[in-house]
Amino acid sequence: MRKSFLEFSRINTEKLFQNRFNILIVLLIILSSLLIARLYFLQVVSFNHFDTLSKTNRIKFISTPPRRGIIYDRNNTVLADNASLYSIEINIEKKRDLQKIIDAIKKEIGLSKEEIENFYEKKYKYSHYNSIVLKSNLNEEEVAKILSIRYKYDGLDVTASLLRKYPYKEITHHVLGHVGYIDKKDLASLDKKKYRNMQYIGKTGVEKFYENELYGNPGYKHVEINARGRQIRDLDIGYAEPGEDIHLTIDIELQKFMFDALSKYSGSSIALNPNTGEILGMVSLPSIDPNDRLWKYGFEQEELKKLKSPLFNRSINGLYSPGSTIKPLVALSSIQNKIINPEEEIFAGPYFQLPNSPRRFRDWKPEGHGMVDLNRAIVQSCDVYFYKLADRLGIEKLSNFFEQFSFGKKTGIDMPYESKGVLPSNEWKQKNIGYKWTDGDTVITGIGQGFFLATPLQLAHATSILANKGVISIPKLNKKSVPKKSKDILNREEFFKKNITDMDWDIITNAMFDVVNKENGTAYWSIRDRKNNIAGKTGTVQVYSLSQETDERDEENIPEHLKDHSLYVAFAPKEDPKIVIATVIENVGSGSKFAAPISNRIINFYLDNKLEKY
Amino acid sequence: MTLDKNTIINDSLLFSIIIIISILGLTILYSATNENIDIVIRQGTRLIFCFFLMILVSSIDINRIRFISPYIYAFSIFLLVVTLFWGHDSKGATRWVMIFGFSLQVSEILKIILPMTLAWFLSLSEDKDFDIKKLIASFIIIFLPIAFVIKQPDLGTSLIILLCGIISIFLAGIKRSHIAYLFGLFLVIAPLMWKFLLLPYQKKRILTLIDPSSDPLGSGYHIIQSKIAVGSGGFFGKGFLNGTQSQLEFLPERGTDFIFAVFAEEFGFIGVMILFLLYLLIIIRFIHITQKAKSYFSKILAGSITCIFVLLIITNVSMAVGLLPVVGVTLPLLSLGGSSLLSIFFAFGIMFSINRRA
Repeated sequence: MRKSFLEFSRINTEKLFQNRFNILIVLLIILSSLLIARLYFLQVVSFNHFDTLSKTNRIKFISTPPRRGIIYDRNNTVLADNASLYSIEINIEKKRDLQKIIDAIKKEIGLSKEEIENFYEKKYKYSHYNSIVLKSNLNEEEVAKILSIRYKYDGLDVTASLLRKYPYKEITHHVLGHVGYIDKKDLASLDKKKYRNMQYIGKTGVEKFYENELYGNPGYKHVEINARGRQIRDLDIGYAEPGEDIHLTIDIELQKFMFDALSKYSGSSIALNPNTGEILGMVSLPSIDPNDRLWKYGFEQEELKKLKSPLFNRSINGLYSPGSTIKPLVALSSIQNKIINPEEEIFAGPYFQLPNSPRRFRDWKPEGHGMVDLNRAIVQSCDVYFYKLADRLGIEKLSNFFEQFSFGKKTGIDMPYESKGVLPSNEWKQKNIGYKWTDGDTVITGIGQGFFLATPLQLAHATSILANKGVISIPKLNKKSVPKKSKDILNREEFFKKNITDMDWDIITNAMFDVVNKENGTAYWSIRDRKNNIAGKTGTVQVYSLSQETDERDEENIPEHLKDHSLYVAFAPKEDPKIVIATVIENVGSGSKFAAPISNRIINFYLDNKLEKY
Repeated sequence: MTLDKNTIINDSLLFSIIIIISILGLTILYSATNENIDIVIRQGTRLIFCFFLMILVSSIDINRIRFISPYIYAFSIFLLVVTLFWGHDSKGATRWVMIFGFSLQVSEILKIILPMTLAWFLSLSEDKDFDIKKLIASFIIIFLPIAFVIKQPDLGTSLIILLCGIISIFLAGIKRSHIAYLFGLFLVIAPLMWKFLLLPYQKKRILTLIDPSSDPLGSGYHIIQSKIAVGSGGFFGKGFLNGTQSQLEFLPERGTDFIFAVFAEEFGFIGVMILFLLYLLIIIRFIHITQKAKSYFSKILAGSITCIFVLLIITNVSMAVGLLPVVGVTLPLLSLGGSSLLSIFFAFGIMFSINRRA
């Protein structure tokens, strides 16, 4: 009974399968027939139509570049703009007699040997392009002449492209950065579809950081081209979406003032608003005018060498020992860790010695300072006092405290390639130098020398935290951006709130005020007009290591590159800080002679002339 | 299991046609890649590897294949998980995974593994009614891998895999009333899917099919250029290496999705008909093998493979002539790419194996 049922079922399934299989095969035969009919229609019936399309009217897509966003300063002054640039381009896709074309152009408008050599070099370097620029920046007469011979030479063309212009030239170069040719390195990371047929891209500075916003979206043209590749007419145009304009927090007048003030030196100066983190001015010298060079031949290595690396942005990449500018933080850390009573007077002789060590850590003042309390130690920048504090604190506590002020971390400014600097610690030394940390290393860290390295921006940022009594504002250049405080930053703000009282902050800022305003202060002679209540701290960083045995050094005969770096950090007005400044001037001498007077003039210029405008 | 010629390659006509189409594929690939011999050699190497795989599979008894089917299914699900987390990207989708130094697109081989698994599952209770329990279990088997493929995201391939599964359960005798219910369900779900599941670019592809000029820069451009290529090929074609649409690079994805357009442009309507005839011979042999298949498992599987093979050809050619959106289905034996070759030759191996038992 059961067996017969199974057999029945099997026969039944088999029949059903056959039935279903037949249905599918018939369905697929119908679909195939439709497809063959379609092919017959395309290839036989409409052949003439498609043949014409393929032979004469070839449709190609051309991307059209979007207008790049304009960069303004905080008062709507244009810092980076676009203009039209006419160039001769030669198509290198097909094999052509390039020399013949070049000779013809030379006859019409003249070409230098350099321009021709450059063309061949670029042709090799940018072989993935369709066309290569032979000569840029043509005037109208030259454009007319080339257009008149264009028909004779296949592959020769005059193109108009957007040119980036920086009206403030070298003054804004390090902040804005510049645009340049898209090279193979850029190609690896960018959206190729978006940059099809585009030549330029932001390379450094704001131009790079805000590339996405500034660039916009390219449009396209749907054009017909003939068999020789020349465009006949436009069929369809999708307009490009222009890039976003960007308003910076920079005040160009202040920027210019800062640049002029530092123009004789190498170094950097940064002014920012401690309440908002807005960068008001940021200069790095030497600098270079990016305008012409970018479009013609790029930067030449020899020229750059002669100018002492003008492309190097010292503000965010220059690493300097903070020197004595770090002393207020060492003092604050000592108060927080309760290893010193600020009122207590300590004897500070000509040098400090660790037990069981012959090495003498000398004070900058050969005869020593005598009895000093914390205020006097900061005001006179007494080294021995801080050697002692550092020795008592130990490197771990010091290092942790500096870290709260963003040393050894990126500040998070909206610029590419920011450096982290070096936060000195046992760990760091073991990993990077290979030796254990010594007590001697701790002692010199107390006056900001040794392994400790910071960028000028980090110095300005740390000073703004001090001026704000522990509130951290992330530095920013784009007025519209609202930097989000990371968990780390919130934790650090919490740390300050818990561990440091207003009174502690005041002890330090009062001492910094006295540095500038008390007659024995290291920066007293650096300013005449004192109405803005500036609080600051000088720093003098030895580039040339002094022998421990002989004190005297021959100031006159030190070669320039071994002279001290001059540093200064400050904020004003002391009661309600509106501006923070950090200045580093390379190889000139003491902080009080160079960086302090320049910075104080910048602060006064800003508070006297600029502030009421906002 | 002797490696006797008779037992393994038991259909010499089928075998020779496979070789002929493979060589034809390498030839047209040479033209499609602007005479890039390196790519052709690489594809040739893959072909040789796949031939050996085919012979290996055909030497395995079909009952043993049936036995290991669920394990292969489980392994492919594992590979999909790996792809999801460690796969590598191309054009915004994560579809490939590296195994043994080869880049594998798991969704491609699902086109054969899914029918195999369904045939195995349904053959477990072949004498029982195709009831609702069986139906639901079948749909779980189908949708588990598809969920991963949708996530990649690859909607086109998901739909093709779904069709492969539906073909299998249709052949296995799903009830007519169930078909009616499913169709009704589809009518309800389709508009919801359009609204919530489809990404903007996918909607765009479907819309451009209706009106290619609505997106002339994107997929509309592909369709226009492909149609020009096919149409301008005419009756006799422009000749090998003479297709202007492909040689001047108007045609996108020439090696993979649009290889048919290159073929049609250079060899014309007559060439296309000859290609179709070759495919037809394969299909006739497939139908023959299906008719002769003895067990329930072999019958369902052979029938599914036959229909899926035709379906892939129809889908790919429809894309090239502008009848279907660009869904990224390869043309069996002709398109560049290792994963699709692997699944096609795996299927050939199974057909030979079924034939031996017939």
